[in-house]
Amino acid sequence: MEEAKGALRIAALDAAAARRGLCVGEPLADARARVPDLVAHDADPQADAALLEHIADWCDRYTPLVALDAPDGLLLDITGCAHLFSGNKSDDGERALLDDLVPRLRAQGFAVRAGLADTPGAAWAVARFGGRPGLQGAIRIPPRETREALLPLPLSALRLEADTVAALDRVGLKRIADIADRPRAPLAGRFGPDLITRLDQAMGFAEEPISPRLPVAQLSVERRLAEPIAREEDVREALRHLASLLARRLETAGLGARALEFTLFRVDGAVRRLVVGTGAPLRSPARVLSLFAEKLCKAGDELDAGFGFDLLRLSVLESQRDDGTQISMDEEAAQADELAHLIDRLGARLGLRAVTRFLPCDTHMPEHRSASVPAALAREDALFWIAETTGGAGPTRPLRLLDRAEPVETVAGVPDGPPLRFRWRRAFYEIARSEGPERLAAQWWTRGADAPTRDYFRVEDTAGRRFWLYREGLYERETAAPRWYLHGLFA
Amino acid sequence: MTRYAELCAATNFSFLRGASHPEELAVAASQLGLAGLGICDRNSLAGIVRTHLAAKEAGLRYAPGCRLVFSDGTPDVLAWPRDRTAHGRLTRLLTLGNRRAPKGQCHLALDDLREWGEGLELGVIPPAQPTASKTPIRETLRALAGTFPEAVRLIATMPHGPDDRRRLAGLAHMAGEAGVPLMASNDVLYHAPHRRRLQDVLTCIREHVTLHDAGRRLEANAERHLKGPADMARLFRAHPEAIDETLRLLERLTFSLDDLAYEYPDEPVEGFADPQAALEHFTEEGAKFRYPDGVPDKVRAAIRYELNLIRELQYAPYFLTVFDIVRFARSRGILCQGRGSAANSAVCFCLGITEVDPTRADLLFERFISPERREPPDIDVDFEHERREEVIQYIYARYSRERAGLAATVITYRARSALREVGKAFGLSQDAVAALAGTIWGSSKSGTQEAALRAGLDPKEHTLSQVLELSRAIAGFPRHLSQHVGGFVITRGRLDELAPVQNAAMPGRTVIEWDKDDLDALGIMKIDVLALGMLSAISKALEMLQRHYARQLTIATIPAEERPVYDMLCRADSVGVFQVESRAQMTMLPRLRPREFYDLVIEVAIVRPGPIQGDMVHPYLRRRQGLEEVSYPKEELRAVLHKTLGVPLFQEQAMRIAIVAAGFTPSEADRLRRAMATFRRVGTIGTFQAKMIEGMAANGYERDFAERCFRQIEGFGEYGFPESHAASFALLVYASSWLKCFYPDAFCAAILNAQPMGFYAPAQLVRDAREHGVEIRPVDINHSGWDNDLEAREGEAPAPPLHANHRAMTGISCATHAVRLGLRQVKGLKQGEMEQLTAARGRGYDSIRDLWLRTGLSRATIERLADADAFRSIGLDRREALWAARALAGGGMGGKTGAKADLLPLFDVESLGDLSREPDADLPPMPMGEQVVNDYRYLRMSLKAHPVSFVRTHLHRARVRPNAELVATPSGRNVCVAGLVLIRQRPGTAKGVIFMTLEDETGIANIIVWPKVFEKFRAVVLGARFVQVRGTLQSAEGVIHLVAHDLRDVSDLLQVLSSDAGNMDATARGDEVKHPVEDFRQKPRPDARVRTLMGDTRGREPAPRDQAPAAVMPKGRNFH
Repeated sequence: MEEAKGALRIAALDAAAARRGLCVGEPLADARARVPDLVAHDADPQADAALLEHIADWCDRYTPLVALDAPDGLLLDITGCAHLFSGNKSDDGERALLDDLVPRLRAQGFAVRAGLADTPGAAWAVARFGGRPGLQGAIRIPPRETREALLPLPLSALRLEADTVAALDRVGLKRIADIADRPRAPLAGRFGPDLITRLDQAMGFAEEPISPRLPVAQLSVERRLAEPIAREEDVREALRHLASLLARRLETAGLGARALEFTLFRVDGAVRRLVVGTGAPLRSPARVLSLFAEKLCKAGDELDAGFGFDLLRLSVLESQRDDGTQISMDEEAAQADELAHLIDRLGARLGLRAVTRFLPCDTHMPEHRSASVPAALAREDALFWIAETTGGAGPTRPLRLLDRAEPVETVAGVPDGPPLRFRWRRAFYEIARSEGPERLAAQWWTRGADAPTRDYFRVEDTAGRRFWLYREGLYERETAAPRWYLHGLFA
Repeated sequence: MTRYAELCAATNFSFLRGASHPEELAVAASQLGLAGLGICDRNSLAGIVRTHLAAKEAGLRYAPGCRLVFSDGTPDVLAWPRDRTAHGRLTRLLTLGNRRAPKGQCHLALDDLREWGEGLELGVIPPAQPTASKTPIRETLRALAGTFPEAVRLIATMPHGPDDRRRLAGLAHMAGEAGVPLMASNDVLYHAPHRRRLQDVLTCIREHVTLHDAGRRLEANAERHLKGPADMARLFRAHPEAIDETLRLLERLTFSLDDLAYEYPDEPVEGFADPQAALEHFTEEGAKFRYPDGVPDKVRAAIRYELNLIRELQYAPYFLTVFDIVRFARSRGILCQGRGSAANSAVCFCLGITEVDPTRADLLFERFISPERREPPDIDVDFEHERREEVIQYIYARYSRERAGLAATVITYRARSALREVGKAFGLSQDAVAALAGTIWGSSKSGTQEAALRAGLDPKEHTLSQVLELSRAIAGFPRHLSQHVGGFVITRGRLDELAPVQNAAMPGRTVIEWDKDDLDALGIMKIDVLALGMLSAISKALEMLQRHYARQLTIATIPAEERPVYDMLCRADSVGVFQVESRAQMTMLPRLRPREFYDLVIEVAIVRPGPIQGDMVHPYLRRRQGLEEVSYPKEELRAVLHKTLGVPLFQEQAMRIAIVAAGFTPSEADRLRRAMATFRRVGTIGTFQAKMIEGMAANGYERDFAERCFRQIEGFGEYGFPESHAASFALLVYASSWLKCFYPDAFCAAILNAQPMGFYAPAQLVRDAREHGVEIRPVDINHSGWDNDLEAREGEAPAPPLHANHRAMTGISCATHAVRLGLRQVKGLKQGEMEQLTAARGRGYDSIRDLWLRTGLSRATIERLADADAFRSIGLDRREALWAARALAGGGMGGKTGAKADLLPLFDVESLGDLSREPDADLPPMPMGEQVVNDYRYLRMSLKAHPVSFVRTHLHRARVRPNAELVATPSGRNVCVAGLVLIRQRPGTAKGVIFMTLEDETGIANIIVWPKVFEKFRAVVLGARFVQVRGTLQSAEGVIHLVAHDLRDVSDLLQVLSSDAGNMDATARGDEVKHPVEDFRQKPRPDARVRTLMGDTRGREPAPRDQAPAAVMPKGRNFH
């Protein structure tokens, strides 16, 4: 489901749902009213697109000319490729290709409809509109029979705007046959030249180039080598060269890399890819090199140069604005820079997830005030700690918070008086001064919601040691016998 | 014993902050033994009247106030008016802030307070976080104390933060420095600690965050509840003087809302000594006009009695105000009619405020301004809905915005909206929230548990149970103020010194902060200026009678008590008639068999929650049909009940019973009524219930009767319906019935012109008119105006015959005209453009190009006209017209810009080759089914055929009967019918039963779906547009129902309407054989796992669902 026209609507559905009479575009609320046991998920167009990309990658095996026909189609230009799949008769080759492709995709769990024809338009049309509804499999239009195959199809098979199809439908023109032999000027005059173009493209009267998918790297530099290289030193040297080329390109664009890919193409066609992420925008060649150095040395044996690499490519997969920093005289800034580099280096070796740091969390519960997150993911601006002090009262939170509050025995006044003395880890403490209670109630919406309210006291004993204690449970309102805990120590 | 008054409590009128109803706060304050309660909502006084009433009920000292929140960085200041004058200044201050801000906001600065603060007691309240306000407290204190010495104090709270005691000491020090007293408060947000959860959720809704992400935007603890004197004293033990200050302040606050004595606006009338003299004069003149043959004695006596009462209560200005408004409307030719307790008086009839002739209906006058209650008279005036705005602007102009404003309506959370918002706060996925909310039918309060189960969610699961519980608690919370549909408050002095005035969403409107119950409770007069579609329709019909039939009539002069009108109603032939056209009314009509005007009054009143819940409908019907003797529970009720055969039907009667039989005083009865209407939460209903039932039992009434009476009053609480309203409505029932009976042509055209209104869609209204022998002519560019109108039918083919059902009407109708459908019936046309078209028409258009060149309309508009099949008069059918229209722009889909921009490409095309020499288009003719589908698509109706007629052969084979046959089918038989769903209805009083109305080409079928069947066929009942029903026929007294056992969505049958699609499926298959296309379907045998994964539905995409014929058919209207 997705949000469209002010309501949650069904974006796609499976066969079972279709059998129950639901349809794409229907508001979810209506659908629910009719099919209460409907299971719905949020539409994720990005994931769909990514999946389509993956399938396109996979289709590389049939032809280098694969084009995306988003959101759910792929166009393969198999001119000159089909024969690779069987013998020399191109006719059989096409069938063999389909025989290979369709079952393989199905085995991966996809529903597949394939069309194969002389023109991209015709292939598109039969793949989507040929055969009976609900058909799975492939339809091939033999060479030179395109016209006959297209005639019975509806006009939407021509890849027209929905408006145009609707307008044609209203004057009674519904099938390709209805317009194929009609005088063209009146049609073009009424429904736009696009109609004629599309018709001609499908019929093969007009050329239609397909635009193959291009690598999506934002920036990339590559080096083709006349003489393949295999030694690690050579690879490093080539990488250094690429990194400095890239640094210049990045600087011109005002960008810093957050993720980089180093691709090594082996002479025999095998491809190795190494990817690194960074904690801060990066373009220094030396740093890039050192990040990949960790990887290269870890990959070590696996790299397996075989007969050597003849093409090396360094691409920026992800970047972030970086307008360059002035050289800082500020100690802290320099340290922050060092820290970022340290995180990158540790991350490259141990994995970025393994290097963590604390982030402040917005909650009343003291033990949940901070969380540890992968350091590379933390943005500097999120590291904002609120001063836990009040005017003149000193810090209200202890320097050391115990991992787990420890029970203590106390003497205290009811209902909410401060403790007078307490025993912790078998030692007695006589309280000289105290402040509180600061009352913190449970986060009732979480599990274990009936946790009692806590009354925190800041206390100082006769020796000047300061503690953070709390009483668990409000006297009478929540419990008859509140219990006491020590939760932290002030410096 | 310590005494303490909490003077700063927020109600839930501090929207999304306060978490308790005003009534809850008042009750809790009184139970805690507080010395008094002060309400301070954020820049609003919207909650103070409710608290006032609740505090009165609870015997609690009460001080209304306000929390002023500034937009200039000043910390919040609490303000309580000392007296009436100060209250006026406070309301003006708030008005000032409201009027300069967009709706729902109030922009105030400290200087505004310094200008308007005279007479207010003030308290500066430090923010929870010291950094939250820009201006330091000290500065604000100094500024205010300088301007208002002796009136300022510093508020201290003990929120259980980390440094309460330090903070309190600091505040005490600061107060000492500034020389102002320190006052204790708990800055209350809710009445009891358990409401913290609700308050947290409200915070989340306000901040658009989930509970999980809200963090420290939520309160740290549950301490901001009302606290008792002992608790407060203990918290403030270091500064007991802060507690005493609350009492000292309370003493100084002498203002009570009871002081807001309402003053009627002056109605100076030139040439008269006083308003009473003027009123008597106008009444006398009116009486002469009304009764040209002399005023009947009975009326003369009534006038005298009423005028005396009016003089005694000094209500003359009020009547003059209403008279003036009505007189204005009449001078503009705006049809209007008064209703309400005072409206059906002889005086009002003479003044022309109402048309209910006192000689025609013998109305109860008990409720007409009762002297003992001193309640302001109540007159609502309905106006034609299209012209009400003129009246409203007249009132603003006459009394100025300073003296006239609309009452507010409090918009509250309903079950569905509450669930949605609470679910969001809990971070439930959009889908889960939609699932929960979507399964609630209408606005029902119950059933969320079942809804959850239905949605596949476990209501016992922790989060979900909290969501359900809290959304139940939030339902009924005010959400924002909106404008009342037409309740005007007019004052003698400045309105903004009575209550704060704010901008309404609609430009040119201002609204006061109190709603009608608040005004009612304070005895402030309001006049309801309402819009009524039926008045527009009647006005239009009368105008057509004048134009086409030369009959000059008004509502008052429509011939009264004509037999054929009542005959028609007895047959339930009431489609389009005011009020009695609903399904329930239609089943009531043949049973009640109205024969005279007063029967219509009863008819209008009986199908309401009051009589239904009180179980009074059947006793009344039995007595009316003579099956049961008319008797009175006790003789003393004869006077109250004699006109309704001993059965209480009207709200007045129920109240009289409380007084006569249960020993209520009139003011107690009034409180009972109010308790039902608005204050269900407080829990005082129980005491009323006991008092009423016990009181009646003690007076010798049967307990069962007493309980029914009480239930009836409960029903009236939901929808009060007094006899006086019913009488005014009944008059419109008669007027519209008369028109329908004698001039069905004018009635049909007028009611179509007044759409949207009423129960039925244009398609049914047209169909009904045709069945009554009216010829309906299609929309046409050469004949139609914007409005539907009448056309003479001289020497033409005879009018269509009367439908068999209406044979009784033979010879009664005076209609001689045909109805020409207007261009307004076509979806998506603009009135201005169509007026261009009619203005430029001259002797008519002879081609599409002619139309295009002369009107300058855009191609898109002309295409739309072609879609509506409006070119028949120049010999073009739908497709030909479209084909020609498409050529106008010369290409592409971009031709939506208008004719001017298209001119050049047109001439380009012309220069290339003359359009007229284009080869013949030779388009395939549009099959009839598709014509009908397109008629529905663009006109929402078809004059050509009924969609169901195309599938009749199929239905016949499936043994589905035409609806018309049901009349002749014996009761108890199992039958099957099918039709388009016109209406689904689930009345609140019918315990979950759903009524569906189906239509086929022969007529209507009424289906009853019991809850169990509904659960089983939920999807079909709610979703299907064309449905097949099998069930048992029940017919009695001319009322026919089918009780459904089994329902099927047969919408797909309508696919045959686009029948050439069907043909083409055949050719497609043929082609498949002809041309060798390879099909790999069979070859790969995917294993079972893969097969389950492959849920392919796209396949060959069928026509998009919204293009399918079924989708074009009406969805069916849902009523609750």
